[in-house]
Amino acid sequence: MKFAEAIRIVQAKAPAGARPLAVALACGCTAEQLKVFLTAHLKTLFPDRGATVAAGLYGDCLGNLERLRATRAEALAVLLEWPDLDPRLGLRAAGGWGPAELADIVATVEAQATRFEAALTRAAEAMPVALCLPTLPFPPAPLMPGWRLADCELQVRARVYALAAHAVRLPGVRLLNPQRLDQLSPPAERLDVRADLLSGFPYRPPHASTVAELLARLLQDAPPKKGLITDLDDTLWRGLLGEVGADGVSWSLDRHSHAHALYQQLLRSLAETGVLIAVASKNDPARVEEAFRRQDLLLPRDRVFPVEAHWGSKSESVGRILRAWNVGADSVVFVDDSPMELAEVKAAHLALETVFFPTGQDQAVYELLARLRDLFGKASVGAEDGIRLASLRGAAEQRQAAEAASADRDAFLRGTEAELTLSTDKRTTEPRALELVNKTNQFNLNGRHYTEGEWRDYRARPDTFVYRVSYRDRFGPLGTIAVLAGRRERGRICVDTWVLSCRAFSRRIEHRCVALLFEHLQAGEVAFDFQATPRNGPLQEFFAGLLGGPPAGCVCLPKATFVRSCPALYHQVKVVTHG
Amino acid sequence: MDNIRERLLGCFATVFPDLSAGEVPRASMSSVATWDSMATINLMMVIEEEFAIQVPPEDLERLVSFESVLSYLQRAEVPAA
Repeated sequence: MKFAEAIRIVQAKAPAGARPLAVALACGCTAEQLKVFLTAHLKTLFPDRGATVAAGLYGDCLGNLERLRATRAEALAVLLEWPDLDPRLGLRAAGGWGPAELADIVATVEAQATRFEAALTRAAEAMPVALCLPTLPFPPAPLMPGWRLADCELQVRARVYALAAHAVRLPGVRLLNPQRLDQLSPPAERLDVRADLLSGFPYRPPHASTVAELLARLLQDAPPKKGLITDLDDTLWRGLLGEVGADGVSWSLDRHSHAHALYQQLLRSLAETGVLIAVASKNDPARVEEAFRRQDLLLPRDRVFPVEAHWGSKSESVGRILRAWNVGADSVVFVDDSPMELAEVKAAHLALETVFFPTGQDQAVYELLARLRDLFGKASVGAEDGIRLASLRGAAEQRQAAEAASADRDAFLRGTEAELTLSTDKRTTEPRALELVNKTNQFNLNGRHYTEGEWRDYRARPDTFVYRVSYRDRFGPLGTIAVLAGRRERGRICVDTWVLSCRAFSRRIEHRCVALLFEHLQAGEVAFDFQATPRNGPLQEFFAGLLGGPPAGCVCLPKATFVRSCPALYHQVKVVTHG
Repeated sequence: MDNIRERLLGCFATVFPDLSAGEVPRASMSSVATWDSMATINLMMVIEEEFAIQVPPEDLERLVSFESVLSYLQRAEVPAA
């Protein structure tokens, strides 16, 4: 992004009614231009928010960090550079680069890094923090020639990495990956000596823009994609199954097809972190199963669900997979080596992200793997991720069982042995609730998303409640599948956020959630801050069933109305108030 | 030459959005309240991007009005857009 473009984006008015997004920027350089870039990238990534950036004083990154954490900012971006650890490592100081000074610089950096660790720890308790380690070249202070790594430089760099290792373990701290920064902004094209000496702004504009963009992305923490649908021939493996048979397809070094092994390895890793993996292939299904029985396949058959192998169109296969997963196309990536197949699928599923698999081009496959990591990467892997595939299979079995028992729905539900646990402890820092709120579209009260900072502030308010609902039945556990967040207002209950995972539909869990609100909060009426969205049809149908007509605006539901419309519920309910 | 003038008008409009099209050619540090040292840095960054040049620090002190910047760019023979 050019600086002029950034200025124009910053000057553009936020949409009417946009919620503010206040971000604090702690750095030691002149912050004005960096503020412009960071604001512009935040406005680009959060188009429905009114992004503003506040910065501190020149030359006092640590002090700025301490002061800004006390502000009402929603998040904090911290940009460290060498002079923030010792001014003599910058170009605007001339305190000496002799042997004695270098030893003193190492000692100063040690002490200053310790202070930064303490300040970051305190900041992380108050708000999410995006941290960028020094990006500029180490100054020519060491006595050795530049191609030889000097002990003092090594000690300083080691201390900075120790600081980073401390910070990244703090909840809420996200660290900018220097490797990605190196790819986007070559190290030799970052420093602007003239601008640094002139105004205290040491960055060339393209580098400042890149740093600001990556910091904004760290703060955005975009939800990852949920599922990947892969082709088989010349994608999951090299070769055409129909021509060479199950033993003829390959993914090995000696057959020059190892790039496919790396792809399989990545898919397995994604599956182990809860990403759904399915197959859409024009193939003989018996041959596909035979190939999946090969012991050396790095992606086990039981990690793949469903497998659509036949001679029909891939767009139809993808449609069936999306229904089996019950997720929207915009959460899914389709990988195939055929541009024609990619186009056919894209035409039928516009929101789906289609990715070309460059068979035979190892470098391009490597880049594809990095791209898939970007699309599916997540900060942490929880217990929910491990059971997602099992619960989907369970849901498919449950649907089949329910269809068989459709004549007596109640008898079927009674026999599911459903157990529902309501957790009311809103102090918990586990990330699943926010993740569910931000990625659920179909059963979502109003489509409202929260940043980590907003969610933290919401939970901290004394008048709010946050309920998490987890579920299991004889088909298996579903984990945390619903979140209800609201507040008491003038004697009644107002629900601001309510989401229910699509994996949990058709079990009357939504009815149980409302029943629990009435029971647990002893309310006579509950007001739901409902807003229709293009995708929350299932929730609209639920309200229409209770109210006798489509909902419009805020839904006020008296207990008597709910009791009249609520079907029989068969869940065993447990309430957990702590932990 | 007109091309340089048009491009410079665009730079000024970006950095000083409150100035009308008629005010920009007469703009100077003394007449524009928001033209402070930070605005000078912003203006130079935008001009350097637009004209693919680097303004030496010693020249900055002379660039105090639209007209002085325009003369500077015309003398510098900046590349065409």
